[in-house]
Amino acid sequence: MTTHPSLLPAGFSDVLPPEAETEAAAIEAMLGVFAAHGYERVKPPLLEFEDSLLGGAGSATAAQTFRLMDPVSQRMMGLRADITPQVARIATVRLAQAPRPLRLSYNGQVLRVRGSELRPARQMAQAGVELIGADTPEADAEVVAVAAEALAAMGVPAVSFDLTLPTLADALLATLSLPPEQDEALRHALDRKDAAEVASHAGSLADVLDELLHAAGPADRALEALAAATLPPKPRALAERLARTVAAIRARAPDIALTADPLEFRGFRYYRGIGFTVFSAALSEEVGRGGGYMAGDEPATGVTLYPDAALRAAPPKPRRPRVFVPVPLAASGAALRRQGFATVAALGPVADAAAEARRLACSHLATEDGDARPLSGPLEGS
Amino acid sequence: MNAPIPASLSHPALARPDAGPLVLALPKGRILSELGPVLERAGIAPDPDYANEDSRKLRFRTNDPGLDVVRVRPFDVATFVAFGAAAIGVVGSDVLMEFDYPELYAPLDLRLGLCRLSIAAPAAVLAAEDDPARWSQIRVATKYPRIARRHFAARGVTADVVELSGAMELAPSLGLSRLILDLVQTGSTLRANGLVEIEHVANVSTRLIVNRAALKTRPELLGGWIARFRAAAAAS
Repeated sequence: MTTHPSLLPAGFSDVLPPEAETEAAAIEAMLGVFAAHGYERVKPPLLEFEDSLLGGAGSATAAQTFRLMDPVSQRMMGLRADITPQVARIATVRLAQAPRPLRLSYNGQVLRVRGSELRPARQMAQAGVELIGADTPEADAEVVAVAAEALAAMGVPAVSFDLTLPTLADALLATLSLPPEQDEALRHALDRKDAAEVASHAGSLADVLDELLHAAGPADRALEALAAATLPPKPRALAERLARTVAAIRARAPDIALTADPLEFRGFRYYRGIGFTVFSAALSEEVGRGGGYMAGDEPATGVTLYPDAALRAAPPKPRRPRVFVPVPLAASGAALRRQGFATVAALGPVADAAAEARRLACSHLATEDGDARPLSGPLEGS
Repeated sequence: MNAPIPASLSHPALARPDAGPLVLALPKGRILSELGPVLERAGIAPDPDYANEDSRKLRFRTNDPGLDVVRVRPFDVATFVAFGAAAIGVVGSDVLMEFDYPELYAPLDLRLGLCRLSIAAPAAVLAAEDDPARWSQIRVATKYPRIARRHFAARGVTADVVELSGAMELAPSLGLSRLILDLVQTGSTLRANGLVEIEHVANVSTRLIVNRAALKTRPELLGGWIARFRAAAAAS
């Protein structure tokens, strides 16, 4: 069987006009918000040696990382599956002397070995911020507030942040000392909120885990349930941190919709402390994820937003109006561009300028007085 | 011309209509009749057509303007809810095991349709000198290919799966496979076909499932429905 010449590998796609421009503009808007809050851009490479890419926080991304051999050094390299560990490496090595807390931002494409059923793409955009050297509820609140502002700048509706305690399940399950097989089954059941399976594996923790599973929901209800639950000291400390983070977010940005799910531990397993997942009610997939982690020996927190997903939730933006500029009017082009038009210049004389403008999908035609007049009537092909 | 395609159209499965009624996906067949009393106790009265398996309608209104019901194949309930096309659904734990969708939460065991997933083999084969401990590769007929592969892989056996959508019990006698993996309720179908259960894989019961993103973004609404089903299940 012959393969069609434009068939791409599963999970990869071409982005065409106008979506490519929309995406670029959206990422620009997000980066603008990050920069306005004092986050400075870094740009890590696409490829690193496997040992550095998958060291530290990066080890959690190993299973999702494409590898290839460097013919020069004869060493194995990895194509990044996530940018956060790269930024953590930059912060702890090259920017070790920079004052803390260190605020860094980034955007770029990442590759994943496997997509999910819901999200089959194996290449995706990431844009995010990392706040390194701070481990406080106020740092959590800043990252959440900046993420909310960036999504608002893109026009993503009904955003909510689901706060999690990525290590709470670890801390609770450690008290059970289950054999590995049963421990794995219990974690799987917790991840799927399968109440019946949890009850059958959880032994003495069955009641606590059941209460906490049902605590998922609006943040206040979750905090009440955590306060009422009987918890050993480590989980108790995590629960108290969650309460302080919720208070700090409320103090900084009272309008952000907050839910909490204490037992959730999804995502790359480098998160600790407070984690969060970003949702939009207009979408069945996540629009971002973030939380605390260790950058080398330093506590850090950050957020990674997924512009591709966020764009699916945002209302389509009107396109920049396109004006056709016949050769004799070429001098008026600069003024039109300043007004916000995209100018489409004729490369030679045309018989019917209006028809040519329509053929080239222009909405306007340049006029003798240096202005643009909208083309009435249906455009070609619409 | 190239008017901007709304992003939601290029990814229809992911854009969730935020307005409009919540969709509850229910499985055709085995569980549907057992489910009637639970729906009734939960205060859900679907259009009369719903109980009629011959009706060509697929989507039904209920007494609650905020809730519609769709009736689909059990395996499809999981898929509809995983992709957010339906926010909530009812499905057997066998289907959850097979698909293992990360987007599905199963917060409630309805304790209906109780049965088990088992491996069965012809009695005649077992009587012969076939020692399961020596298997390295076996052929098994089933409608649960992933469960079958996982189950045998866990004990170091490669499973060649013959995927069937029904009448698994015929496979061994016609030489299609040596084993079958199927749901067993009383065991009478197995006996009638000269098969015996040789391994228990899992207990199966009916679960209420919800879409993860729906639960995260509309916790009050979804939580309310879960609570109603919980009360309805407890009352039985």
